[in-house]
Amino acid sequence: MSEHTPDQPSASPATSPAPASSAANTAQQRQRASQLAQALRLELQKALIGQAQVIDDVLTALIAGGHVLIEGVPGLGKTLLVRALAKCFGGEFSRIQFTPDLMPSDVTGHAVYDLQSEQFKLRKGPVFTNLLLADEINRAPAKTQAALLEVMQERQVTLEGRALVVPLPFMVLATQNPIEQEGTYPLPEAELDRFMLKLRMDYPQQDEEMLMVRQVTRSSKADMLEVAPLRTLLQGKDVQALQKIASDLPVDEQVLDYAVRLARATRSWPGFAIGAGPRASIALVRGSRARALLRGGDFVIPDDIKGCALAILRHRVRLSPELDIEGLSVDQVLQQLLDQVPAPRL
Amino acid sequence: MRLTEASVAIRPRSNWEAMDLGVLLARRHAGLLMASWALVTLPIFALLCLVFWDSPGIAMFVFWWLKPAYERLPLYILSNCLFGNTPTLKQALKAYPRLLKPQLLASLTWRRLSTTRSFDMPVMQLEGLSGTARSQRLAVLGHKNTGTATWLTVVGVHLEMALSLGLATLFYLMLPQQLELDWSWQSLIAPGQNDWMWLEHLSNGLYALLLIVWEPVYVACGFCLYLNRRTALEAWDIELVFRQLQQRLKGIAYALLLGAGLLFSQLPGTAMANPELKASSTSAELTSGPHLTPDPLGPHAERLQKQALSSQAAQQSITQLLDKPPFKNPETVTRWRLRDEADANKEEFTPDPDFLESLFSGLKTLGKLWESMETLARVFSVLLWAGLLALIAWVLWRYRDWLSTFTGRFGLPQRPHKLPPSQMFGLEVTPESLPDDICREVSQLWEHEPRAALSLLYRALLSRLLHDYKLALKSAHTESEVLQLVASLQQPSLEQFSSSLTLHWQNLAYGHRLPPATAKQSLCNSWRQLFEPGVEA
Repeated sequence: MSEHTPDQPSASPATSPAPASSAANTAQQRQRASQLAQALRLELQKALIGQAQVIDDVLTALIAGGHVLIEGVPGLGKTLLVRALAKCFGGEFSRIQFTPDLMPSDVTGHAVYDLQSEQFKLRKGPVFTNLLLADEINRAPAKTQAALLEVMQERQVTLEGRALVVPLPFMVLATQNPIEQEGTYPLPEAELDRFMLKLRMDYPQQDEEMLMVRQVTRSSKADMLEVAPLRTLLQGKDVQALQKIASDLPVDEQVLDYAVRLARATRSWPGFAIGAGPRASIALVRGSRARALLRGGDFVIPDDIKGCALAILRHRVRLSPELDIEGLSVDQVLQQLLDQVPAPRL
Repeated sequence: MRLTEASVAIRPRSNWEAMDLGVLLARRHAGLLMASWALVTLPIFALLCLVFWDSPGIAMFVFWWLKPAYERLPLYILSNCLFGNTPTLKQALKAYPRLLKPQLLASLTWRRLSTTRSFDMPVMQLEGLSGTARSQRLAVLGHKNTGTATWLTVVGVHLEMALSLGLATLFYLMLPQQLELDWSWQSLIAPGQNDWMWLEHLSNGLYALLLIVWEPVYVACGFCLYLNRRTALEAWDIELVFRQLQQRLKGIAYALLLGAGLLFSQLPGTAMANPELKASSTSAELTSGPHLTPDPLGPHAERLQKQALSSQAAQQSITQLLDKPPFKNPETVTRWRLRDEADANKEEFTPDPDFLESLFSGLKTLGKLWESMETLARVFSVLLWAGLLALIAWVLWRYRDWLSTFTGRFGLPQRPHKLPPSQMFGLEVTPESLPDDICREVSQLWEHEPRAALSLLYRALLSRLLHDYKLALKSAHTESEVLQLVASLQQPSLEQFSSSLTLHWQNLAYGHRLPPATAKQSLCNSWRQLFEPGVEA
């Protein structure tokens, strides 16, 4: 199910001999993990005001080991969120500003001839990091976007015929702007499918915006919130431990069935031209485990699935042309679907 | 038929006014009409009742079906009354068998269900037309009146129903209570026995009675519609005015003619001549009359002949001036236009009698061909309409899923679910499917099958929410969404119970954790307090 969960049990002390004490240990560990996740959420909420839902979803993706595509009009703090996450997370962070002339080798790295040693040396690109921010990802042409395909799915980069593993945990956070279509390249389906979640950032509420304006105008920098005062809460291995704990959360058969039914429903639903693939059901279960951990629960309930279904499904389906012309959005039709697929009972 | 003796004012009326006139006419001769109707129909009704005593429905139906036969009598009476010679009851009844003969079969079979019956009847009965002549005549007459006549029949149907219901209700009100009770018991105990047959016959009789009042009015309305149409078609009102004029002036017309002749013979003598002119004029001028020669002193005589500008020259220049702008602005416009078909025909038309004859015969055959074509066309139109309807039905059926998904988008009113669903989440949630004492059942199950016990309790909660609190639960609702809906009810105790039960249920169902033993008692107690306040644990 969670094929990216690291195998190394460095952070997981669930190897105690006695099963009873192991169960207690696991429970304790879960409790700590969920406390940690909630602390991280609080910290992020300090930096990004008024986007609690988006913060939850980003944390879901982090714990589930998926990638996130964030869409929103300019000025809503997409980049700020990623920078804040990088700040709270002690691992490496690098950022690529996607431009129309960006080449695949600018992303993955390339071989350079070294005059002194008279041989080619590999120069690793910015993808060799823990947290990768792909800013305005749709501004680069398809070949550059395709440079991310391998690393996103397999966590490795093939350079000069050698497969190089990127450091774990690895997470791509891409942003894109939905209104400017001039000079952009829409993401190919294969690329979209590799993103676990696609988040929509909306304008903040009035009181939240007032709070934000108050804080930003008080800050010393011109017009942005500072992320400097944020505490570094967790390291790379802590994230891996969180991922491990989340992947161990029990999922009842009924809940699993619900996730699969949701994903399958999109394929036969009359409003969709193209439904979601099997990656959607996988992502639904992984996302729900992460959400259960964030919630502080010990097991997955159907609400966890339903809560992240919209973000997981919205970029994997394509609206049928009639509805597109009618002006219906994918979210509306998906909401209709969620309202009609029966939730599990018994 | 003499229009001057008509008892109603003959003038063109609107259709509704004509029907009003019909009501008035029926009211004026109400006694005769109703008596004759009753004398004809009531014996027939009695006979039918006797014959079909066991099945009052059939008697009623046959009586109703024979209505066109009875209607001939009121029409006869009305048509005679209109021109003054009101028949006596005896005369009318004597005339009735003779009236029945023509076209009785047609009236009682294929014309029985015609909606314009009362309007068509005078054509058959008074004009004595049948077959093609009748249908042509009806086509002429019914040009604008068919709609009104149909409405008359529709109103009549409703009036008959309303009156018969009213009479039945009145009768029911008059029943003594004991009889009514007896009746109810009888119908309850032995619904098959026909002891109460006379009641049905009685209600049939009520219908026969109300027809006495309504049918003459119906016939009179149709008759007046017919009269009105003829008044308009044959200009009866104008004819009537001329007749009155003739009658009034008959006496003095000769005197007037004589006087006029005398007056005209005197005219030449009264011409006055100018005495001066008389003196200077010749005798020839006198015989030819003074008016024939131009008056030398008149406005048209030539004057100012010695002047530089004679009157004639002035006249000419004035005429020339008047022909020029701004008095006249002649302009020539040239444009293309289609050659007029009628003109072209006229030009080519040669008054050759043979050609005319052949043309007319050709037109006649064309007309006949057209008639046969019309039948074919009707068949095709029926086929095409049927095809269109079938196509629409097929499209609706074919895309029913699509339509049902997007009905909200089309703004179609979605019928709210009146009844709560009996099955939800794959569970039986009707109150009947649950055991009477839920708590006892739960307590029994708790030790051995805790999952079944909790499931029963949760199911009972959902059932109560659905039926007692009328919550609009859907299958797609998860447990927390149900909790949110419960929170919207603003009942703290119910909310608390629901959340604790949901917690235990989720722990068991999805987390596979047994609920603590203490939960049983607290849950049962809360359930009793909430839903069974009378029973103590």
